[in-house]
Amino acid sequence: MAYTIPFDWTGAIGDVVLGATKSEGGTRRISYRIGGGKTLPFLETGPVSPAPLIAFEICDNPVFWPPLIRNYCGDLTNNVAEWAKTAESAYGADMVRLYLTSTRMRNFSDFASVKKTVETVLSATALPLIIEGSNEPKIDSEVFQACGEAGQGERLLLGTAEAGRYRSIAAAALAYNHSVLAQSPIDINLAKQLNILLREIGVQHDHIVIDPYTGALGYGFEYSFSAMERIRFSALKGDADLAMPMICSAADSLTIKEVREAEPGLQDEMAVRWEFFTGIAAAAAGAEIICVRHPKTIPLLRAAFEDLKKGTRPEAEVQ
Amino acid sequence: MALKALDIYKLLPKKNCKECGDPTCLTFAMKLAGGKADVDLCPYLSDEAKSVLGATTRPPIRLVKVGVGERSFKVGEEFVLYRHDKTFYHPPGIVFHVSDTQTEEEIEAVTRRVRDETFTRVGSDLRFNGIAIRNESGSPETFARAVAMVESVEAHLPPILISRDTAALKAALVHCGSYHPLLHAATAENFHEMCALAKQHGCPLVVQAGTLEGLARLVKDCTAEGVSDLILDPAPDSLGDFVVRSTAIRQLAITRAAPDLGYPVYLDATRAGNEDAAIALGIVKYASVIVTSPLSPGPAKAALTLRQNIYTDPQKPIQMNPGLYRVGTPGKDAPVLMTVNFSLTFFTLQGYLESTRIPCFMLIVDTEGLSVLTAVAAGKLNETLVRDSVKKFDVENEVSHRKLIIPGYASPLSGRIEDATGWKVLVGPRDAAEIGEYLHEEWKN
Repeated sequence: MAYTIPFDWTGAIGDVVLGATKSEGGTRRISYRIGGGKTLPFLETGPVSPAPLIAFEICDNPVFWPPLIRNYCGDLTNNVAEWAKTAESAYGADMVRLYLTSTRMRNFSDFASVKKTVETVLSATALPLIIEGSNEPKIDSEVFQACGEAGQGERLLLGTAEAGRYRSIAAAALAYNHSVLAQSPIDINLAKQLNILLREIGVQHDHIVIDPYTGALGYGFEYSFSAMERIRFSALKGDADLAMPMICSAADSLTIKEVREAEPGLQDEMAVRWEFFTGIAAAAAGAEIICVRHPKTIPLLRAAFEDLKKGTRPEAEVQ
Repeated sequence: MALKALDIYKLLPKKNCKECGDPTCLTFAMKLAGGKADVDLCPYLSDEAKSVLGATTRPPIRLVKVGVGERSFKVGEEFVLYRHDKTFYHPPGIVFHVSDTQTEEEIEAVTRRVRDETFTRVGSDLRFNGIAIRNESGSPETFARAVAMVESVEAHLPPILISRDTAALKAALVHCGSYHPLLHAATAENFHEMCALAKQHGCPLVVQAGTLEGLARLVKDCTAEGVSDLILDPAPDSLGDFVVRSTAIRQLAITRAAPDLGYPVYLDATRAGNEDAAIALGIVKYASVIVTSPLSPGPAKAALTLRQNIYTDPQKPIQMNPGLYRVGTPGKDAPVLMTVNFSLTFFTLQGYLESTRIPCFMLIVDTEGLSVLTAVAAGKLNETLVRDSVKKFDVENEVSHRKLIIPGYASPLSGRIEDATGWKVLVGPRDAAEIGEYLHEEWKN
């Protein structure tokens, strides 16, 4: 007799489409439909949702990037097009997440360059993109407008909207049919509130990805882990305002003490394991896009996700 | 269904004899309801009451102890599927694996490493928990020699003896029989002999089957033989398999839908294609004993840190002691940065400050472990607290200036803090990652 796991889920994670192929109006070689989960991660017995996507993070001004990665990736970090290309061809990422760190320079106002950078990266890689705009509310409007326009038709994921500043991103997303990354500080209620704010100004449910904010392993990761579990649980229990896919980016993993103070020959290894353990645990909690900055983390996550999606022939029926 | 404390109370003798260790029958009933006490502690229960209570008041997952002495560890007695519902109580034992086909030197080195290696973070010593010795040689004598080698190090580590051959286990138990090693594994074929060995030496026993039904059947068989300190090995074929089965076992156990599955779970990560991933999943998805090859420094630290994170009680955020902390060797003109005593905030900010290489002071105020955002919202972080902390920690004598940098999220308080302290308040960034840039640009005396 088979066991039935008593869950009583009533909801499902909503779908979000990332990227657009030629037939979908864009130029990407692939697009992804994430979400769709009807139970806890990796427990699906029916048609399974896809494995979590692995996004490689790059930037257009490496001054703002961890020294470890500047050393490991070398000259590539000074050439955002080549870096994006390498993320696809050599590193094997599913997506590229571009941080427009150039906009963080004091009194930045060269918005034409933002548009050009996004266009350059779009032609350098055929993968769907996540674009991180400015860090400065005063220039949000121009920066996101430029990103949105440059990526018209490509179904970008634009980041990062927060409770106090989401209008410029939402405007660009609505004008050019992109999706929005909605970040809240490790708090399920604030996550829900932001999703409602976005909905109220017209951003559709299927254009939102939740970023519950990921603290690095050992530096508050447990809060992020539980926030993700709670969001997934609430969504499955029927709360539509939380039923969006989640992203995990433990960006601090590259600069924590354990990595900085590791012996020189071990720093890369430490950073990779830190990203890897965080990514696996976050995926188990419900994150569907795992962002990494170290190229060597990608194949490890890839192999693990394949094994996670494999051979689930459970004798227990999930309800 | 779990009974409420009052329902349980009705079944108790109501003598308040204190023989169970509780002052009254009612407090005992409350403990039973919470799964915190055993029915057998009450000497006056009728058999009928016992049978009613026994099934519903036992912790849904049995507590099992592996090893003896200081390094022994207990697993099980968990109550929830999500740590945020309560907490996870007993962190998994992570046990290094050796084979009896390895040289004595190799076995000795691994044993010494588990004995000696400690990794200290946030005030806790994190360690690996034991040695698993696998009988790969096929020879009982070789197996016994390997176990004797481990024991000769006198590390007093909980052993796990892995062999299906009861003759090999018997030979090995000569060397460690009194240390309550965990025996792996009883199967449908050998459970009778395995139970005899476990009983003879008082050992906990792993039962292994590839289906939940198979596990439940083995549990019935072994408990019928008188062995009830059991651990379940669902023998997963893949990582996905492990997550499914381990989650099913946990959920069926805590809802008491399948009491025969109410035992801790065993995971052999060395059998998984991806050992690191197996360890990470074991930690977050309910494994209680994880066997792994000796880990290199990266995965070793990551695994111990993940375990520490996941088994932190979510209702008690790790707090820092309030006070004035130094980054580097700050002088009289060094900046003073105020923030809250939430450990995550503290360590994140400290990390970024260290990487700026600007010596400075961190003034940590007591918000009872709340983050800046929540402390401001809850009124816990206010001008009085900041003023009192500046005084209490004698900041005025540590620096010659009167400037205080506060977190970006505390900016609504800046005016009031200025009024209360008489210090000039500078509003820092909201994101600690930007503190380096901020100090380089804004900090001029």
